[in-house]
Amino acid sequence: MRILDNISLYFSLLKISLKEILIYRIDCIVGIISQLVVQLVSLIFIFVVFENTENIAGWNFQQILLLFGVTRIPIGIAGYCFDALYDIGPKYIRNGDFDKILLRPVHPLLSIIGDSRQFVSIADFFIGLAITIYMLIQLSIPITALLIIKIIFFSIIGALIVGAINTIFSISSFWTYRSNEVIWSFYRMYTFTEYPITIYNKFIRILITIILPFAFVSYYPTMAYLGLNNYIVYLSPIIAIILWIIAVKLWDLALNKYRSTGN
Amino acid sequence: MLKTMIQLAKMQFNHYNIYKSNFYLFTLNRIVEIIVYIFVWQAIYNQTGNAGGFTLSQMITYYILATAFSSIALWGINQTMAHSIRNGQINKELLNPLSYFQYYFGLNLGELAFAVVIGFASFTLCAIFWKLALPVNFLDFILCILVILLGIPVTFFIQIIVGTVGFYTNSIWGMQILRKAVIKIFSGIIAPISLFPIWFQNISKFLPFKELIYTPINIWLGKMPYNEILFVIIKQIIWAVILYIIAKIFFKHAVKNLTINGG
Repeated sequence: MRILDNISLYFSLLKISLKEILIYRIDCIVGIISQLVVQLVSLIFIFVVFENTENIAGWNFQQILLLFGVTRIPIGIAGYCFDALYDIGPKYIRNGDFDKILLRPVHPLLSIIGDSRQFVSIADFFIGLAITIYMLIQLSIPITALLIIKIIFFSIIGALIVGAINTIFSISSFWTYRSNEVIWSFYRMYTFTEYPITIYNKFIRILITIILPFAFVSYYPTMAYLGLNNYIVYLSPIIAIILWIIAVKLWDLALNKYRSTGN
Repeated sequence: MLKTMIQLAKMQFNHYNIYKSNFYLFTLNRIVEIIVYIFVWQAIYNQTGNAGGFTLSQMITYYILATAFSSIALWGINQTMAHSIRNGQINKELLNPLSYFQYYFGLNLGELAFAVVIGFASFTLCAIFWKLALPVNFLDFILCILVILLGIPVTFFIQIIVGTVGFYTNSIWGMQILRKAVIKIFSGIIAPISLFPIWFQNISKFLPFKELIYTPINIWLGKMPYNEILFVIIKQIIWAVILYIIAKIFFKHAVKNLTINGG
């Protein structure tokens, strides 16, 4: 019951922040356009690479683009839903707003996450979706109901994995008061999964499958969609649950040690 | 005047230096960024052995230098500028005995000084992991630095132009992303320009961005004849003058129509 309450509270918080974005409408449109341009940067690299080669580690152009599309969908969802974690330091802790949140009768983590409103990520989501669908057609993979369910399910799970990792790293803001850079650094590593992980050396492979399991967000799901490996992907829901348990526990632990900036 | 500008530069530099973590995180970010590129190219070289006339060690050197130079090409003061427009501080800045452009050029130099430190740190760290190609003779090295220095006024006036947009829109983060993406695409941070399609190379020949990354690295690698370098130097000076005129006119127009929030 409590969990359901929390979820409905989360969605009403999300609705409020959606309204907040619409205040700055021009900003929002410019933001979406610029996000398209940012994606273009990654795509240009893929195009340039394939001017010079037929395949990367056995993956051809369409397969790499499919992988790219699949990485963007969960990151779009996660960006929209968990964005406020970036701002814990500057937006809440440094000016003392965090103390206000602590006084609310809900878990502070929920209040903060509910404040997310990275509208730009919606662009990410749709670019990912468009590329994914287009490449599935290009690769003549039949788009069955099962495949659609799989894509929806694993995208949400992927977003949850990314969200949990962000939550864990947002803890650093209790000490540094500026979480954004820390999360950014680890978030950047997410770009590793835009390519088949077999191109990396052992260290990076372990890093993105075990330590920061980004590979389960996009790489293994893509393998499943392509029919290259159907089973490993089912580990990802388990990983998501474990990560969230760790994240919430660590967050609570850090919260106990938290000292206000003294307003 | 020069003394004041150096003082301003120092101020801005220290602004970054307060948080020691900035230094480590920015350096880490730089390295994470290139890892993907380097591993993808490594995978390709393992298959084909050559791409666009670069050997593997040249390609790795290319990306390491590109990241080292990228902060010089991308960082700047337009965020600070937009911020001071929004909170009304611009009032004071316009009344400074130092002209507005000089004031911000001073701040910009501080910003770039920090970019140089970061660039140098990431370069040194990468040199431990990968084998780098060093410049063949000292003159190449000097010319490489010279071309980078000539890029500073170019990027600075672009910063001013983007910052001035803040007079009209209140917030410029969309424009900021757009500026960064354009520089990334046309400067060669993504991939050496010579690997792009011919039509793209022709466009980038006329733009000043190639000289921020691609040209200095090619000079470093000894791939650039001296008469072309002379041409590049003249081109950069012309661009700096053109952009200065645009920035001046745009800024004058903006200040005339300035309304300050609670100024």
